[in-house]
Amino acid sequence: MLEAKHIVYKYEDGTRALNDVSITVEDNDMVALLGKNGAGKSTLFLHFNGIYKPDHGEILVDGKPIDYSKKGLLDVRTKVGIVFQNPDDQLFAPTVQEDVAFGPLNMKLPKEEVERRVTESLKRVGMSGFERKPPHHLSGGQKKRVAIAGVLAMKPKIMVLDEPTSGLDPKGASHILQLLYELNKEGIAIIISTHDVDLVPLYAKRLYVIKEGKIIKEGTPKEVFDDVNTIRGANLRLPRIAHLAEILEKNDAINFDGDYPLTISQARRDFKERLGK
Amino acid sequence: MALNIDYVAQTNKLRDVNSDLKIVLSIGVMIFALISSYVPIEIAVIILAAFGIMVIARIKPIIYLKFIAIPFAFTAITCVYLLFFFGVGHVIWDSGIWGVVIRQDALNLATLTFFRVFACFSCLGFMALTTPINDFLHALAKVHIPKVFIELSMLMYNIIFIFIVEVETMKDAQKSRLGFNGYMNSFRSLGSVLANLFFKSLEKAESLQRTLESRGYDGEIPIYEPSKRG
Repeated sequence: MLEAKHIVYKYEDGTRALNDVSITVEDNDMVALLGKNGAGKSTLFLHFNGIYKPDHGEILVDGKPIDYSKKGLLDVRTKVGIVFQNPDDQLFAPTVQEDVAFGPLNMKLPKEEVERRVTESLKRVGMSGFERKPPHHLSGGQKKRVAIAGVLAMKPKIMVLDEPTSGLDPKGASHILQLLYELNKEGIAIIISTHDVDLVPLYAKRLYVIKEGKIIKEGTPKEVFDDVNTIRGANLRLPRIAHLAEILEKNDAINFDGDYPLTISQARRDFKERLGK
Repeated sequence: MALNIDYVAQTNKLRDVNSDLKIVLSIGVMIFALISSYVPIEIAVIILAAFGIMVIARIKPIIYLKFIAIPFAFTAITCVYLLFFFGVGHVIWDSGIWGVVIRQDALNLATLTFFRVFACFSCLGFMALTTPINDFLHALAKVHIPKVFIELSMLMYNIIFIFIVEVETMKDAQKSRLGFNGYMNSFRSLGSVLANLFFKSLEKAESLQRTLESRGYDGEIPIYEPSKRG
């Protein structure tokens, strides 16, 4: 379990990048953090494994506050894995397998175990056979997968992904989310940041909306998207389907009672009911 | 890129041959070719290396030719210089203009230098075209080259490809707004590309530090060499 309690983080000039942010991620949770660019999503994420130290407040991993000693940080970073937005920032080794092995080797695992984990995690993300390729020969989506494998190989309990779908084509994006969904089912808690509001309700169990370093809304996708004004105030929008329902209600007197469908399957059910099928 | 040495090194038929063997062999033969002062031996080395590269490693001749073209040109220029401006012995050809002559010992020296350099480059080519960089770095680690040097090379190797793309993108962006147009303009454009690249490098260094630390980096990059070759 990961808890952020009243996190305040100031930039050098004193402006507050994060202002009293509290977040709870249960074991096996799937949480999405929504917010516009520069709202503080990445800054918050870097607190989760102790890269940034908050000016006020604390981060608890499994109920214990992060120990910022060398050993304590290694422990936290084994439990909380971060996949960064730009895979080019993360992949540094000359071959895919060396990059994936980096984390496990830092954990000082025996060689056989490292090899097993490299093979397993590459297989898990669908990148078997690319072991000896250099990362710069891969496509954006493939790089992303390798970056995920590199974190997966450390067997974290919680995986934090900063904009996992940014820069990917629609199919690549939905494959990555599908993968995260499966990993979540296998027992890893997942936290993602995104502004892809169409995909979020399909996967996330809970959402947080962050604006100017503050959490302004939290709840299930339904609870959050019901609050249209807050969503729009955070430079976000409703999922297209919900937006359609909103227009139908306002302009065409088709009443949803403000209860807009968020996904295609919800809309389908709703329409079939209305048509009496 | 017209010639992607890296890609060739990853895909040739000799890739899976023990890299230590390849490196020792090519450097050994290279030193031999460097010491030898007998032209037929140098020619034999050139043929041997070419055979190894094109027949055994199955690298396309055009790739090998491209690889060897630039050192070949430099060697040729050097040898022309040696040919005309060196030597004190017997004159074998006199151009009749300003006393430009070719002497016997200069001819010998130029011929030997040409084949010697070419032979050494062939060996180097064999190594560069058949051995991926990470295998090469592992071999360096085995002979106790300082770790910091190896880690730096490793990071530079990977990041250089990202930078090439960045520079190309920035250049294209400038060209789209009529940068690199004319001599002075090109200088100005290049200056801003380089300045921009400097700041990007700083940013990149910072984000790389973060991503490495997130995976437990403690100041040393561990070496990974799986036992089975996949």
